[in-house]
Amino acid sequence: MNPSSQKTPLGRRSFLHLAAAAASSAAGVSAAGAVGAACRPPLPREAGRTVATLWFSYGGKNREVLLDLVSRFNASQARVAIRATFQGDYFEALAKLRTALAANVAPTFSHVVGEVIPYLARAQVLEPLDSYERCDEFIPQLGQKGAFRDGHTHPTVAIPFNRSTPIMYANANLLDTLPSTWDELRDTARRLTRPSVGDPRWGFEVPISWWFWVAMLGQAGGTLIDTDGTPSLGADAGERALRFWQTLVHTDRSMRPPAGRDYNAWQVTNQDFLAGRAAVIWTSTAFLRYLEDTASFPVIAAPLPKDLRASVPTGGTFFVILRSAPPEEKEAAWTFLRWMCQPEQTISWATRTGYLPVTQAAVAQLRDSGYYDAHPNDRVAYEQLSAVEPWPWVPNLFRIQRDIVEPRLEDAVHRNLDAHAVMNSARAAARRPV
Amino acid sequence: MRPRKPWHPAALLGPSLLLLAVFVVFPVALAALASLYSWDLLTPPEFVGLANYRALAEGGELLGVALRTLGFSVLVVTGAMTLGLAIALLVHRPGRLFALVRGAVFSAYVVSWVAVALLWMGLLDPDAGLVAAVLRALGLGRVGFLGDPDTVLATLAAVTVWKVTGYAMILFLAGLEAIPPVLHEAASLDGAGHWNRFRHVTWPTLGPTTAFVATTSLILSFQAFDVVRIMTQGGPARASTLFVYAIYEQVFLNLSVGKASALTVVFFTLLLALATLQLRAWRARGMS
Repeated sequence: MNPSSQKTPLGRRSFLHLAAAAASSAAGVSAAGAVGAACRPPLPREAGRTVATLWFSYGGKNREVLLDLVSRFNASQARVAIRATFQGDYFEALAKLRTALAANVAPTFSHVVGEVIPYLARAQVLEPLDSYERCDEFIPQLGQKGAFRDGHTHPTVAIPFNRSTPIMYANANLLDTLPSTWDELRDTARRLTRPSVGDPRWGFEVPISWWFWVAMLGQAGGTLIDTDGTPSLGADAGERALRFWQTLVHTDRSMRPPAGRDYNAWQVTNQDFLAGRAAVIWTSTAFLRYLEDTASFPVIAAPLPKDLRASVPTGGTFFVILRSAPPEEKEAAWTFLRWMCQPEQTISWATRTGYLPVTQAAVAQLRDSGYYDAHPNDRVAYEQLSAVEPWPWVPNLFRIQRDIVEPRLEDAVHRNLDAHAVMNSARAAARRPV
Repeated sequence: MRPRKPWHPAALLGPSLLLLAVFVVFPVALAALASLYSWDLLTPPEFVGLANYRALAEGGELLGVALRTLGFSVLVVTGAMTLGLAIALLVHRPGRLFALVRGAVFSAYVVSWVAVALLWMGLLDPDAGLVAAVLRALGLGRVGFLGDPDTVLATLAAVTVWKVTGYAMILFLAGLEAIPPVLHEAASLDGAGHWNRFRHVTWPTLGPTTAFVATTSLILSFQAFDVVRIMTQGGPARASTLFVYAIYEQVFLNLSVGKASALTVVFFTLLLALATLQLRAWRARGMS
């Protein structure tokens, strides 16, 4: 904590909360109220059961599966119940969560992207979970272990549940084998592109998003944050990744950056693929079942292609319990999380959505039952875990993503800006304290 | 008029001034203070002086947002006023057909922004939209509309004009109703044709209405948020990030209260300058 912030007699923090409300009112949106570090009052019990609230972000099919699991859990419990509420996509839900935390009306638990956990942990709003009864053993690449890079020891604050990696999908009617290197991807994309005003098809499509750029940065041999904590943003590898996109979009004209930003662009990518306007796409394993079930053509999945090596980041979210919730609600939330981590639920969630099974026990059951032999696309998603590059959880990771890298990537790809200059400016901004 | 007591003017102005102070002056002052801090709502704020302004200025974000918002406003205000006036002149006639047209044009204004934005997203889809199909039928090329940084702002402005033209039309119709028919009759007797009657009778008499439409359209265009949030989320490449959306993005999506507050202060200053210029222009033309 900044010592000077504690000396102001009139409560600068409260003053600033009002200022945030003012800034947001000027923007025509609702804003935060008071700081919510204290424990909020418990919710009224329902039919004698403790109610824990869950704010979730899954849309479409994944939302149906989650609500089904919640309803099964509620039917199986006599003492606790979960009330799940949809809060928009990950970023909308995060915005609401922060505001609710500031106003001391946060839910009992929620789920957030990994990049934001260092920030929430630093704000001390997450419940340490080490004292709770343990869950089944998690797959190491998907859990919190070893992710924090700030030199401090951290308690467990995040439980993996809907975890994913980026993966490549292709229309199997258009190609038999999927590209395994960047060069092959470039050739394939050029070959499959059909320039036509009336019925165009792009060989390749991927949202211009930080997640995929981080994957390519790793494939080009770079690391986002150096071991000493310097945000090098992959150095040359980061630039090479950006240039590869620019080549596909502007030189080869074999890739179209999808319209919209954030998850709207992801949705457009899926729709273009399903409508036959994109032959090969990169998106999340989370859409595996949706794409397979919806496409009018056979869908094949493959690992992302290599440049110098294979590399993918993990995606999806972690469950977190909010510290401000009353103890009985936290216990209820933990009961639900433990239930979700049992193989039956983990398998149900993974096989009905495409998210990765997060516990060793669930994977063992799936392997032994022959599930991966019968579902080769699921096997690809699982096997790609061997190429996972763990996220460096440094406190400003989310700022680097949202405020620094993502807007520059969009700008550079759409306007074909000099990749070296763009990444230099990003690195300079990432090193600035504000 | 002289007040009966010296304190009467202050008493009459008091409630308005109080509301203005509570809901405008105080929040803006707080935003100005918050703009001097680095803060993310949850961790302790840190005093950084003018660093938020510097960061916004150095990256070109501030200038970009200001120019885009001004450009968008110019397109919306001129488009809505021109079309609103043109339609008002065309439908300012008796009869059921014209009443139907007036109702149809105005109906867009009362429909929610969400519905309007979704409707136009469908129409403007470069692959499956009706507009794309018409362009193809005409042998014209593919236009990205919302997916192209060069066309997105004009597209959003066009959608906004489509929605608010009905409002401008209604106001101009009211203005036209207020013009005494005798003025047109006198001008006709003097041999004035359609154009001269419009130029020398209609247009000057519509002055106050025009000023009102211009002001309200300007305010509306500066407040644009829903259309951006739903149709483009400020993209592609921030080409449609207008002021209010930029503030929302900074405070809620990027976790930066300080930068959002800095943008708010600049936004307020810009609006204040524009309002002052407009007021002076009206006063110079003798309008109240």
